[in-house]
Amino acid sequence: MKRLITLTVNDKKYEVAVEPNMTLVDLLRYELGLTGTKKGCEVGDCGSCTVIMDGNPVNSCLVLAVQANGRDILTIEGLETDEGLHPVQQAFVDKGAIQCGFCTSGMILSAKNLLDRNAKPDEAEVRMAISGNLCRCTGYQKIVEAIKSASGWREGSGKSHE
Amino acid sequence: MSEYSIINTRAPRLDAPDKATGRATFIDDLNMPGMLFGAILQSPLAHAKILNIDTSRAKKLPGVKAVVTAEEAGLVKYGVSPARYDETLYCHEKVRYVGDEIAAVAAVDLETALEAVSLIRVDYDDLPALFTIEEAMVEGAPALHEGFPQNICAEVHQEFGDVEAAFNECDLVRTDKFISKRQDAAFIEPHGCIADYDLSGHLTLHTSTQVPHYVMRTVAMVMGLPVGDVRVVKPYVGGGFGPKAEATPLEMSACILSMKTVRPVKMNYTREQVFLHSRARHQFIHTMTTGVKKDGTLMALKNECYLDGGAYTSFGIATVYYAGSLLGGPYKLPNMKYDGWRIYTNKPVCGAQRGHGGVAARAAWEHQLDIIAEELGMDPIELRLKNVMVAGDTTCNELNMSSLGMKECVEAVRQGSKWNAKRGKMPRGKGIGMACGFFVSGAGYPIYRSDTYHSTVLIKLSEDGGTVNVYTGSAEIGQGSDTTMAMIAAEALGVRLDDVRVASGDTEFGVDLGAYSSRQTLMTGHATKEAAEDVKRQVLEVLSEKLNTPVDGIDIKDGLIIFKSKDVDFSAIRARYIKEHRGWSDLPRGNDLTFREAARTAYLARGSIVGTGKYKPPELGGKYKGAAVGTSPAYGCSAQVVEVTVDMETGKITVDKMTDAHDCGFAINRTSVEGQMQGSLCMGLGEAMFEEVKFDEDGRILNANLGEYKIPTALDMPNVEAIIVESNEPNGPFGAKEVGEGAIIPTIPAILNAVYDATGVRINELPLTPERVYMALKAKVEKGDTRD
Amino acid sequence: MLLPKFDFHEPTTIEEACQIMAELGQKAKLIAGGTDLIVNMKRKVLSPEHLVSLSRIDALKNVDLSDGPLRIGACVTAAALAESEGIKRTFSAFSKGASVLGTPLIRNLATIAGNLVSARPAADLPPSLMAYGAKVVLKKSAGERSVALEDFFRGPGQTVVGKDEILTEILIDKPLGYTGAGYIKLGVRKTLEISLVNVAAFISLDSQDGSIQRARIVLGAVAPIPIRVPSAEQILVGEKPTETLFVRAGETAAQDSRPIDDFRGSAEYRRDMIEVLTRRALEMAFNEARSHE
Repeated sequence: MKRLITLTVNDKKYEVAVEPNMTLVDLLRYELGLTGTKKGCEVGDCGSCTVIMDGNPVNSCLVLAVQANGRDILTIEGLETDEGLHPVQQAFVDKGAIQCGFCTSGMILSAKNLLDRNAKPDEAEVRMAISGNLCRCTGYQKIVEAIKSASGWREGSGKSHE
Repeated sequence: MSEYSIINTRAPRLDAPDKATGRATFIDDLNMPGMLFGAILQSPLAHAKILNIDTSRAKKLPGVKAVVTAEEAGLVKYGVSPARYDETLYCHEKVRYVGDEIAAVAAVDLETALEAVSLIRVDYDDLPALFTIEEAMVEGAPALHEGFPQNICAEVHQEFGDVEAAFNECDLVRTDKFISKRQDAAFIEPHGCIADYDLSGHLTLHTSTQVPHYVMRTVAMVMGLPVGDVRVVKPYVGGGFGPKAEATPLEMSACILSMKTVRPVKMNYTREQVFLHSRARHQFIHTMTTGVKKDGTLMALKNECYLDGGAYTSFGIATVYYAGSLLGGPYKLPNMKYDGWRIYTNKPVCGAQRGHGGVAARAAWEHQLDIIAEELGMDPIELRLKNVMVAGDTTCNELNMSSLGMKECVEAVRQGSKWNAKRGKMPRGKGIGMACGFFVSGAGYPIYRSDTYHSTVLIKLSEDGGTVNVYTGSAEIGQGSDTTMAMIAAEALGVRLDDVRVASGDTEFGVDLGAYSSRQTLMTGHATKEAAEDVKRQVLEVLSEKLNTPVDGIDIKDGLIIFKSKDVDFSAIRARYIKEHRGWSDLPRGNDLTFREAARTAYLARGSIVGTGKYKPPELGGKYKGAAVGTSPAYGCSAQVVEVTVDMETGKITVDKMTDAHDCGFAINRTSVEGQMQGSLCMGLGEAMFEEVKFDEDGRILNANLGEYKIPTALDMPNVEAIIVESNEPNGPFGAKEVGEGAIIPTIPAILNAVYDATGVRINELPLTPERVYMALKAKVEKGDTRD
Repeated sequence: MLLPKFDFHEPTTIEEACQIMAELGQKAKLIAGGTDLIVNMKRKVLSPEHLVSLSRIDALKNVDLSDGPLRIGACVTAAALAESEGIKRTFSAFSKGASVLGTPLIRNLATIAGNLVSARPAADLPPSLMAYGAKVVLKKSAGERSVALEDFFRGPGQTVVGKDEILTEILIDKPLGYTGAGYIKLGVRKTLEISLVNVAAFISLDSQDGSIQRARIVLGAVAPIPIRVPSAEQILVGEKPTETLFVRAGETAAQDSRPIDDFRGSAEYRRDMIEVLTRRALEMAFNEARSHE
């Protein structure tokens, strides 16, 4: 039997009826039309379905839609502002961090979350933060470079975490 | 600084903003009105007779719209090479591997389709299954396919020069065996497609493929449709690396289900099904005998190779040829003998994967060359430099190195890695190794015998202004080919990159053989350049007529018209343009005539301005059997140095640093070239150290997921110092040739050689898991070999 | 991949959860982070009729580092454990275990109770928790009991948790005096790994330069459940810590364990790695013990 849930996705409130066996990624993609969140393995290995839930990046293929009831979700579609691309997105574009693009949404969200917590990560911290996001195209190097370069934009703004 | 405005820069990719924001649409992001969902029934058994298939319960399930088996789909044989079509869409008499397709269902939703699949009853009679090359080749072994005794799917026997005679003249001849393992391409996007058969009898297939053209042909053939009624459209593709370079049962199931229901049908492989469909890297077992002179001069190579092919042929005939032919270079090798066998086994089917056929062969040989260098007391780099080919050389198997910066690559990595300071001076547990390789820039011949162009490109200027629309059937699969074509078009035409739009991956745009064999930069690039030059010529002709100035006195650069003569008066063109665009805010101004005005003028004079380009390589290669495989209009090459740390107690390897120099002829986009280098090395690292598809005793894959099929994570891959070498290929557009596959070729042997340098132990089997390295170290200690 | 159908329950108190489990019994599965359960359900290994979610029970999300034993609620995530400075300071080996579980994305969902009750032989949290002598609290409507973690596992996927019981809390006594611990996970890659072997070691010294008072060595992935190696522990007790002693303990641990061959690794390799990793984990424990206080 379907259940009515409410959740906030990219600052927009949704009220939807979902079957208990629907995953969050399927809700986002097939019910809400937010197809930027990808499905690469569906069992939590690849990270292409990464979304940020209540401030933490998670594999949305492992979260039931009903578990997201009342939660705050940020997907790749929620990063742009009126000013344009989020600095992490822009850095991925500028640094050649994108090839096929299938891991990109998840990769950017993991990176964004890292920079929210740690404005000046070193390379090891960057690599650790994206180590749940598999990429088969880039060898990760330009992704790491992009994240490091995006970290510059917050210089002087201090840590926003804790 | 180069003479060019666009190419050889680091222009951001055209598709990057869409991909960075989640806007880019991949196949599963698409939906169509009235769309059904399909699912496939696959064999749970590795080898069995099909006694009966009962679909009655599935058909009765509410919501099911079509159920198809071999009875409905027919028995049209297909495959990759027309010389060996050995697949039918669905099994009829028997199944040959766990995953072999038996039936497919279309239903109103995926849940119903899957339930229907589970209701199909198949009665089997088990047959003995063969899982290894040895089992399959036993005299009298059960045959997977009739007419193929000992399950030999294909064999190759070639000799160039006289190997035995040459060995007699050698100071050192040694034989080594090398074993690689079956691998998976592990692209992150599983295959998916939507087939849409409409009421007028046209079939459109949207699919995650590398090769829209070949898929179109196979689908038309298997569905029995006129090829003109089949259109294949490729959305963004989440990586391919080879296995998406052939038509799949998924695509053809969607097509037949759509034809039966006259509704769009969407189908996806799960990750497990991606592993079952496979078509990825074979297991190779090479035995190589190499003879050299005391001074390191390479004299002869005898190469014997067995490939575990799985249940059908796929790309396998090409693979077994490549495993020999790609050792012809990049060293001067006067004598080469190759004997290769591809064997059918009851496992998922192997096909092409990045570095097709050449990766294991190169690993085996470069590893052996390292041993030979040591035995001769030579630095491994010196041994290679002693033998490298140079531009203009032809291999003993008649591959022509029209450009070859092999020596430059070796020197570049020697310097870049500080080889001389490190080699032989590292502590136990740390090591440095190197290797070289080369690869084709596009196969010299299409997969089916034909005089077809390999690429046709159409460029149309928008009638209302200067937008340059490039139409190509080529496949952007993540490697950046759309951006490459845009850059080539912009450069050739003289416009800004922003003025170019690329529409690609659609068979309606023309012929393009697709993204495989590292062909698009060279081949589609040629066609794009020619089409752009055609357009340019037409625009200049009109300007010449209108302005009464000779064509060769006009050029286009950075979106502006350049006149040799100072006194060309284009005010009438400008005045008309402005009159046509009253109310516009971006009217042309300044002292130069813009391309936009020129393009508009050309349209007004001649109608739509359309330029076409085409490319087909000249006749290449020798006349011997199999001579086509390995031919290419150009060859890329690379040298790599790898540094490792080995935990001597656990066998765990950490790759600390990689230095790669690649001769890509001329870099169209420097960032993309580096990206291909880094990505190739990462895949090579995974194959060297982690990756292996494993089976249980019943032929079921044990690790059909990305948790246990281990590709490198961001923590496993070090930074790569990527050095671009540019040899200016005469047969390439603007001098360009390949980078996308050649860069993986030296990675495995460079790691093997570094591990030897670190440990003193030679390991002839992949992958170099901690266990394999540890066991080799332990065996050495037990043998009492204390040499470091 | 679709999940089988099920009914979903979301109690907000432990009592309510116990009540539901008492009613539904074997037809229900508890879900916390879901990183294991959801995968098993997608693969149709499990298809419970009911899922009872613990994630709305706030009482299960606390970490209490104040006086007395460390108390960790069932639904505390691996990420929260790994990030806790207090846990890192006092229970470094446990902190390490939490920090190498799965991937950063998995750690944000996976919970401590989930890692225990899923009872995978190679799980990352049990070895160090056993080395620290952790206990778990199991509750049901009729009451509660506490079980030492070393008596908790019964086999792969099997624990002593009754069908109407809920693991609500993990308790670890704070190690006093000169104590230290180490945890080492050996996998093929650097992350996203199922351990080939993992080892946790705990020792306490009678003084900074003194002898070993107590020792615990726990091995994972080498038996159906994480196991202690009493024979190796006995070698250590009463002795002055030396490299040779740790080598001997490692050898004994290897001799007395019975790992098996599977597709991830051979018994021989695992046994040899027990020797190496036990020694290394003991060295880590010793270095920490010496520097404590």
